[in-house]
Amino acid sequence: MTESVTINLYFGELENSNEFFSPKSYSLFMIRIQKAGHHGILLPELKIGLDYSGTKADHIFISHAHADHMPRNRKLTVYCTRPTARFMKLRGFSGKMIEMEFEQPLETDSARITLVPAGHILGSAMTFVESDEGSVLYTGDYRTPPSPATEGFKLPDAPVDQFITEATFSLPIYKWKSHEELAKQVCNFAKTSLSDGYTPIFLAYNLGKAQELMHMLKTLNHPMQIHGAGFKLCEVYVDEGYDLGEFETYNRDTCEGKILIAPSSAPDTGFASNLKKVRTAYCSGWASNEAQRTQLTADELIPLSDHLDFFELIKLCEELQPKKVWITHTPNPKVVEHFLQKVGITSGFLDVEALGND
Amino acid sequence: MTKSDSINSFKRLANIAQTIFETRGNNAKIKLAAEYFQSLSHDEDLLLAAQYLGEGAFSDVSGKRASVGHRTIAVLASEFCEIDYDLVFKPCRTVTGSSSETIQKLFNNLPEARAKWSNAELSLKEISEIYEQLYTTKKRDLKQQIIKESWAKMTPTEVKYFIRIMGQGSLRIGFETRSVVTAIAKAFGKDSEKVRYAHMITGSLGETAVLAKTDRLDDATFELFHPLSFMLASPIESRSMENFSEYIAEEKFDGMRCQAHISGKKVKLYSRDLNEITGSFPEIVEFFATKNLPEIVLDGEICVFKNDTIMPFQHLQKRMGVKMPSQYLLTEHPVLFVAYDLIYNDGQPLFDEALSQRRHQLEKISKENHLPITSQMEVSSLSDVEALFEQALDHGNEGLMLKRKDSNYEYGQRRKSWLKVKKPSGSLDVVIIYAHAGSGKRGGTYSDFTLGISVKNDDRYEEEFIPIGKAYGGYSNEELAELNKRIKQLTLERFGPTVLLKPELMVELEFEDIQINKRTKAKYTLRFPRFKGIRWDLSPSDADTLKDVERIYQQKIDKERTSQGANPSFIMND
Repeated sequence: MTESVTINLYFGELENSNEFFSPKSYSLFMIRIQKAGHHGILLPELKIGLDYSGTKADHIFISHAHADHMPRNRKLTVYCTRPTARFMKLRGFSGKMIEMEFEQPLETDSARITLVPAGHILGSAMTFVESDEGSVLYTGDYRTPPSPATEGFKLPDAPVDQFITEATFSLPIYKWKSHEELAKQVCNFAKTSLSDGYTPIFLAYNLGKAQELMHMLKTLNHPMQIHGAGFKLCEVYVDEGYDLGEFETYNRDTCEGKILIAPSSAPDTGFASNLKKVRTAYCSGWASNEAQRTQLTADELIPLSDHLDFFELIKLCEELQPKKVWITHTPNPKVVEHFLQKVGITSGFLDVEALGND
Repeated sequence: MTKSDSINSFKRLANIAQTIFETRGNNAKIKLAAEYFQSLSHDEDLLLAAQYLGEGAFSDVSGKRASVGHRTIAVLASEFCEIDYDLVFKPCRTVTGSSSETIQKLFNNLPEARAKWSNAELSLKEISEIYEQLYTTKKRDLKQQIIKESWAKMTPTEVKYFIRIMGQGSLRIGFETRSVVTAIAKAFGKDSEKVRYAHMITGSLGETAVLAKTDRLDDATFELFHPLSFMLASPIESRSMENFSEYIAEEKFDGMRCQAHISGKKVKLYSRDLNEITGSFPEIVEFFATKNLPEIVLDGEICVFKNDTIMPFQHLQKRMGVKMPSQYLLTEHPVLFVAYDLIYNDGQPLFDEALSQRRHQLEKISKENHLPITSQMEVSSLSDVEALFEQALDHGNEGLMLKRKDSNYEYGQRRKSWLKVKKPSGSLDVVIIYAHAGSGKRGGTYSDFTLGISVKNDDRYEEEFIPIGKAYGGYSNEELAELNKRIKQLTLERFGPTVLLKPELMVELEFEDIQINKRTKAKYTLRFPRFKGIRWDLSPSDADTLKDVERIYQQKIDKERTSQGANPSFIMND
């Protein structure tokens, strides 16, 4: 499939230009990739949409169930993994969802599409598209080494011509601690707080991060309570065979002395406000910036991210050696381009607005 | 590495500073610092440790500075890491909002940097020698070499604090001078008021720590020509005023606060931030030097005084910062020092005396030597205060001061013993045209704003809006979050940490004063601009115009000032 690259001539043609978004076309004698404003990515000739909500695709693949990747149009028909389909349904998506197994390709008239595990949250998938014009790997959000509360991280078996990668933490100031170190910090925070007579509250995004924390904390064998929005999502993890320990939904009257997990907005809306002795830990990749300490009133900042760090990104590109790397989801594409250039890899910026969910 | 080596290492200080930063609660932070101070057995280590945590590379009164610019440091660090300054360093700094934090992270993360630094465990003394070298070396390239060689012997956390200490500013660990003073007191079982006193007198936290440790706090004595922090006033909250007769009123001059140290013919003047400003005001020096005064320290205000009238601050501005004023300036804008407090008299510090007592001595000196001092007025009710306030404004003064008669001179403090009654300042409706990513604790959010005034119908300009000022505060956290949300939607263009916005966000901007500033496009700048409120209800067409600014300025200048007349703001005693 990759040995014959047919020539497909498109030079900077603009479609649907209007003052709000100007979709950019890129052509490199390979599969053409188009950024469709805030509506995801389109491979126009193959009529394939990636985290896409427009009308020009016959097949739309959704990488994972975070809001900035889910279709804006709730009536679309989309392809995704089983956990992603369940999460999307729980989060209000009402279109048709066709479930795909990891590494079980789908054939269309012009392409073969395979989902491979992305290691970001449960069900998160990278989309690998192969056609006569070569191959594209679209990462969605991903993490390598993967979160232990996911199906892992796996690259496709075939070579990748074009690599469309998110670069949320795309600066060399971001370098994560190992999973073991972070798990230790998480567990120590809970243990110390409890033994000092305080109720520990972990502030973390309610899909993915919350469950990864629970997965870490289960070793403490201490009851947990999770904020309602995250609680219903835990069921999918349990059904898929992930042990999240002993947990129940948050209850104001019984939460004292339990390990609590809530989104970072919860303390402002009265979450556990009846407790006098609480300690909070904010868990996010952004927690690695010192300014967060003074902006948030958290006792502990835990730089636990569900994205890969800058160095992991550069290393992965070096391993993959694609013909071209397309960078998305970052305000600093130039820094990544610069470092990739130093290791001899060509790259460019696919401008998709980052919505800042971590 | 022997144990004593690591106890007085700079690395240990850096790690303790970092732990203090990561610890919540002031008492817990103080405890950490106190234990650290206790553990240092050598006086010279203690001296450096206290100084580094609270003051900087040099003690405030030493007058020494390392004098290395922010940009120099950032460029040097980029070289050290083998990265491009513009392409890589700058975007990193935009995100962290801190050069030193960026450097720490890059030193830690980049293999090119890791290959260069080592954990040499420099001692506090070795660090002080490096700072000293930076102070004595005037050559740029030599300074750079010293810094690079030093960094090669430090861990990234050490480098971060090495840079922050070198800057003589806050360490940004939520642990300011007052807390260091308390930690010293706690470490050596001393009364923190006594420690604070010793610090004020010596002007050095390091020396203070050693005096506390060696039981010699009483040795700290006030010395002439070492400026003392000023006593500051709080805004009045008339609700909380009960007994007006406990206060005495003085008019509040729209001038420049100044401390005068006088010993015979030797006279030195110090500004609010304790910098020496003697050279700028030769007529004041001359005035005091010829009086044959006892050794005294006066607290007072410098004003331009001409034709028996106190002139607006704009006149004084022409004299400020001018190191050697010309004869023309001296004739055109003659200044006067009006004293209102006496903090040292003939070998005796008077801080612990009541205001009425200090005033008594001040009046005596004033009469004997013909020194101008403020008029003091008794008040017994709110209506008295209001009447005097109007009189002060008529004199062209800023407002009124109310001072508790029985209060000590609370140097360096802003309490309720002195209250200021000020006239309401002006405000303008302006539009946000640029947003800037903040630094320090506001890193990562747009917290600074350039505000525009309308020139749409103004033939002198082609633009619709031009900048009139920058504001950094006056908004709530919620408002800031809301603004940041809107900024994302209104961004037209990005220039590093700055974004150009579609003019839409309206702000009511409050300010203290309008001044002429020829270097700006509008030719005017606002003094102390800050948000009064975000006006979601207004649109850019409601923005005030440059003509409005010009009108307000002119009104201020033209405001009729009554000459001192029958109820003067101050008494000449001449």
